[in-house]
Amino acid sequence: MANISDLEYLRLSKGQKLLFRLKRFFTDSLPNGLKNFFVRIGKGIGSGCQKIGSECKDIVSTFVHGDWKTKLSYLVMGFGCLARGQILRGILFLLFEIVFIGYMILAGGYWLSMLPSLGKVGPTETYNELFDTYTTTYNDNSFKILLYGVLTIFFIIAFIYTWRQNVKQNQIAEKILASGKKLRSGKEDLHSLVDDQFHKTLLALPMTGILIFTVLPIIFMVLVAFTNYDGAHDGYASNLFTWVGLKNFNTMLSWNSAGGTQSYAATFGEVLTWTLIWAFFATFTNYFLGMFVAMAINKKGIKVKKLWRTILVLTIAIPQFISLLYVSKMFAKDGIINGTLLSLGWIKQALPFWEDPTWARITVIIINIWIGIPYLMLITTGILMNIPADLYESARIDGANPWQQYTKITLPYMLFVTGPYLLTSFTGNMNNFNVIYLLTGGAPTNAAASSAAGSVGYTDLLITWLFKITTGAESQYYLASVVGILVFIVVALISLIVYNVLPSIKNEEDFQ
Amino acid sequence: MSQNKTAGAVAKRHMGLKTSRRIGNTAIYILLIAMSVIWLVPFICILLQSFRVESTWQVGYVVPQKWGLDNYQNLFKTDFPRWYTNTFIAALCTAVLQTVIVLCMSYTLSRFRFKMRQPLMRFMLILGMFPGMLTMIILYRVLKDLGMTQANAVPGLILVYVASSGMGYYVSKGFFDTIPKSLDEAARVDGATRLQVLYKIILPLSKPIVIYTILTAFMGPWGDFVFARYISFGASAGKNVAVGLYDWLSKDQINKSYTMFCAGGVLVAIPVTILFMCLQKYYVEGVTGGAVKG
Amino acid sequence: MKKLLALVLSLSMLLSVCSFASADSLAGEYDIKIWVANEIVDLTKQQVEDFNNTNELGIKFNATIEAVGEGDAATQMVTDVEAGGDIFCFAQDQFSRLTEAGALAKLGAGAAKNVTESTDADAVAAVTTGDGTLWAYPLTADNGYFMYYDKSVIPEEDIDSMEKLIADCEAAGKNFAFEMNTSAWYLASFFFGTGCVSEWQTDDEGNFTSVHDTFNSDKGLIAAKGMQKLVTSPIHVSSSEASALANGAAIVVTGTWASSAIKEMLGDNMGVADLPSFEVDGQEYHLGSFFGFKLMGVKPQVDPAKAAVLHRLAQYLTGAKCSLERHAAVGWGPANLEAQADESVANDPILKAVYEQKKYGQVQNAIHGSWWDIAKVIGDEVKAATDEAGLKQALQNYEDKMASLFKLDANALLFVGAWNGWNNADDTDTYYLKDGVLTLDVPESDYMGGRIVKPGDWGTDKGFAQVVSGAEYIKDLGADNPDNNIVFAEAGNYTITLNGSEITIVKN
Repeated sequence: MANISDLEYLRLSKGQKLLFRLKRFFTDSLPNGLKNFFVRIGKGIGSGCQKIGSECKDIVSTFVHGDWKTKLSYLVMGFGCLARGQILRGILFLLFEIVFIGYMILAGGYWLSMLPSLGKVGPTETYNELFDTYTTTYNDNSFKILLYGVLTIFFIIAFIYTWRQNVKQNQIAEKILASGKKLRSGKEDLHSLVDDQFHKTLLALPMTGILIFTVLPIIFMVLVAFTNYDGAHDGYASNLFTWVGLKNFNTMLSWNSAGGTQSYAATFGEVLTWTLIWAFFATFTNYFLGMFVAMAINKKGIKVKKLWRTILVLTIAIPQFISLLYVSKMFAKDGIINGTLLSLGWIKQALPFWEDPTWARITVIIINIWIGIPYLMLITTGILMNIPADLYESARIDGANPWQQYTKITLPYMLFVTGPYLLTSFTGNMNNFNVIYLLTGGAPTNAAASSAAGSVGYTDLLITWLFKITTGAESQYYLASVVGILVFIVVALISLIVYNVLPSIKNEEDFQ
Repeated sequence: MSQNKTAGAVAKRHMGLKTSRRIGNTAIYILLIAMSVIWLVPFICILLQSFRVESTWQVGYVVPQKWGLDNYQNLFKTDFPRWYTNTFIAALCTAVLQTVIVLCMSYTLSRFRFKMRQPLMRFMLILGMFPGMLTMIILYRVLKDLGMTQANAVPGLILVYVASSGMGYYVSKGFFDTIPKSLDEAARVDGATRLQVLYKIILPLSKPIVIYTILTAFMGPWGDFVFARYISFGASAGKNVAVGLYDWLSKDQINKSYTMFCAGGVLVAIPVTILFMCLQKYYVEGVTGGAVKG
Repeated sequence: MKKLLALVLSLSMLLSVCSFASADSLAGEYDIKIWVANEIVDLTKQQVEDFNNTNELGIKFNATIEAVGEGDAATQMVTDVEAGGDIFCFAQDQFSRLTEAGALAKLGAGAAKNVTESTDADAVAAVTTGDGTLWAYPLTADNGYFMYYDKSVIPEEDIDSMEKLIADCEAAGKNFAFEMNTSAWYLASFFFGTGCVSEWQTDDEGNFTSVHDTFNSDKGLIAAKGMQKLVTSPIHVSSSEASALANGAAIVVTGTWASSAIKEMLGDNMGVADLPSFEVDGQEYHLGSFFGFKLMGVKPQVDPAKAAVLHRLAQYLTGAKCSLERHAAVGWGPANLEAQADESVANDPILKAVYEQKKYGQVQNAIHGSWWDIAKVIGDEVKAATDEAGLKQALQNYEDKMASLFKLDANALLFVGAWNGWNNADDTDTYYLKDGVLTLDVPESDYMGGRIVKPGDWGTDKGFAQVVSGAEYIKDLGADNPDNNIVFAEAGNYTITLNGSEITIVKN
């Protein structure tokens, strides 16, 4: 694509500017970004290797130059600290080593050794003649092997890191002692935890939680995509599961072989398209209508503002599983809406809110407006009040009509302030499980796309489809996991694009 | 353009503005009333149906033919009180613990500048892009090994809600960013530790965001029906209200339990709604102070 | 303690000194978990208590009884067998999924004999796999649909004719509720009524291997015509909910689970009957139905003593006494023969209708999960069709989807068997070759032959008819067989294997 000068660029209309930036993103930023990304990865690996090398060198040199306390610390962690009077640190190091070694001997070694095979002996059935009954002996458990295997690897990494810290401590302590200063006492260590090391104290708990309850499951989920874990291979009670390499990705991404009436790739494409359409409408209808309602309530001369707001925010306060389930029943074929319209004689036949694909798609978007407006109204109310009133005053004196005021002042300001929010709300809507699951459960069914992996509906988002795969007739967790990874890629890509295109929008908008 | 003419035009425009504003306001009133009706109808329907005693299934009309409190009385013959207690305990504990975690996280990321800060934030941003749906089955297994499933689901639920809540630091970090850093520095100069800065200076200024965090944390557990279902795994004693009520709408129970579902829904909605209405002011301040800057 | 006992027992067995051990060794306390539907939780509690008090073996159960419905139980069990109920109830269509997931324990020889003798034969067949093993205890035999009607609107003499029922409803301005647009389960009624079948075969692991499906045939067309009569009527509503009656219906087709609600709504005006007949081209066809059972399964156990007592409890709970108690309490129709013969069951009008309809029903065995979604759109397509071609198109669409359902690999093909010659569509059956292999029974008929074709490509043989080996089983018709159809010399069971363009046929 031809480069244009700044002057030419400034002459373009807003739409053209945006288009230009989008084009530039795909022709320029993205390839460059990717190139840079790989270059950076390469460099990262390079510098990583270098770093490891220098760390190793450091470890060796510390050992060679260190005194006997330091040398013994290589084997008995924390010995140096203990010997130099840093009792608290020493005990912690030692304790960690004991726990680690104990764990590796008692359990970790087993999990680690089973990780490559994910278990060898499945459940076996035996007949007991005495009681005329069958019993099952459960042996290896693939699920636990995978889970605790990963956990053990976590633990080993943590141990290596701690061991390195232990070595470093000795090095530092020797240096400090050599310069004639005193080492920090345990009490001082504790004090630093609420002062200059306070951030570590604050982060310790949240990060442990995130590590165990978010990172570990995500790693596990990614790994499942490379196994054959499903209902018939649950790793314990039916059959063991094992590694299958990239097979599941082939299944999901190939166009010709299919588990249903069409290929998974085609189904994925269809569901993804609708997911994006949904996310677009769900985000922007709410955004603009919410802003509009906020402005309407904020308008001068409107009384009992608080009452209007309170009525609207009921939808935030009442749990969605109540309100959405109820609303879903209201729109059913024999629900209250159809019943009322029929009895009023306005329609002759019940409207197919949930039966017709197009109707259902429009209905979920409309009901989502019902859910979303109040939230947006609350957010925008605050921001609208922050817009300096004199901007409007001067605009009015210049003869701007309300629409011009809106497009020239309100909207740019709002977009500027809420840009990041729009992005998170877009990706949030892509994964909006509750609204779709509670309203339609994905219905109406798309027979062509449905397969042994579970049915797919016209209103299914990727996230509800994924859920259906796990609860479908064959509980194909491996396939759900592949979908999960693809969802991640899509969301990440969109975020990347928007981040690349959005900041320039922000910088250029003017508020004169 | 003469001076007079301009003044006349301005005056004229003002008059025009007044009438047009009146018309505009009337339109807005009509709109707001219409919206209020639309927004309230489902809730009024639920409320009305919860008092219907002539039948327990879905019917095509809204106003009960016979009124009574039977549905509410029947609720207490089921496990509903247990579910309600479970949810209430989970919500209460989550509200307290999650607030602590979220505030720790966001305060640190807003106030401290340390080496891992940027990578950490980027890491959590990326983590957030993974759909959490599938990780539920893993969390279920982990909790099962810890003995926190089925009848003991409540501590398990609290643990999971709280443990991953650190990811939701954006809003309160945005809020903390708006508190001037000079306040901290002044206190540090006076010899206060970081901890003292936090609870003596920052927290008193952060009432809206603290209340906002407590409120959202409290409201979350009331609506969780997917994960809570996994964790309770068939044990009625471990269900929360959402799972219990959701099951009442299944094919074999809906004819007996539909009006009871409505009554249960009303009882669930009452505390949450009252709390929300009372603290609405802080909620708005929290959202606008934090959400958009995150 | 019990583990130790079991260990001792199995040791003693190893030493072949088990002769002196007796059933007394089952005595003891057992902590168990039972999953049943919400409505029978209290009753089951009582029944387990009764078992504790009456059994002579000294078995005592400390049972935790949870409300996990038949629909939900299978999904839960598959998610985590270990944490599931020791005894649980499930609908028959979940059977293969549960065996696949290792969630069901085989019945011992004694239990199997007992069940076979005391239970409805169809129900026994439903819990038996190919090798003759029984896997579960039939609990009820009432999982089907039939007709509830409002006696104040529908005269008794009209209930056998769908046309008359429609006319009655139209005259009274009432609706006819029959879930035709959103459920294949109900919609199949018309097809079964004209003799169409859709039978799925599974291998030993429960994987689907082939389907025998005749919905797209002349009989299917008759069914579609009959269905069109109903769905195009302005009084038809697609619902199987009891609430349809509250919303202006006079007839609703649904199952036993709706009976109490309907009884409450209609009171003495509630009428129950088997489904009516419909008329196409002067001929009457009685509507068919799916028929299924609710089953009770025992989870595989590690401890033989616990396994043995659980199987005993399951037999007790599905036995005559408990079945009758359940019938009295919640109206469930027992699968147990003795209970079925009991006066209270035999005179139950609802169960009468159930069993009457069962005569026209097809037992619901393992069905591919996608079939429900593929078949349910027929209702809408039939409604939209304006002429016979439209109906044919609807059926053709169905068949196309069915055919490609088994396109699990690129060379999936159909074998079209034409048992009495190509022109007689009634006897044309379609079989699916999975992974190029098909085992089929060739019936004794005038023209025992067929051809292998690509799905949706009936006319041509696509070059697959050149039979290379196994020719001794094949009739060579020479010039009479220009398409090179495969024509079998005699009836019997054959395995057809396709390898590239070579077809091998072996008689089993």
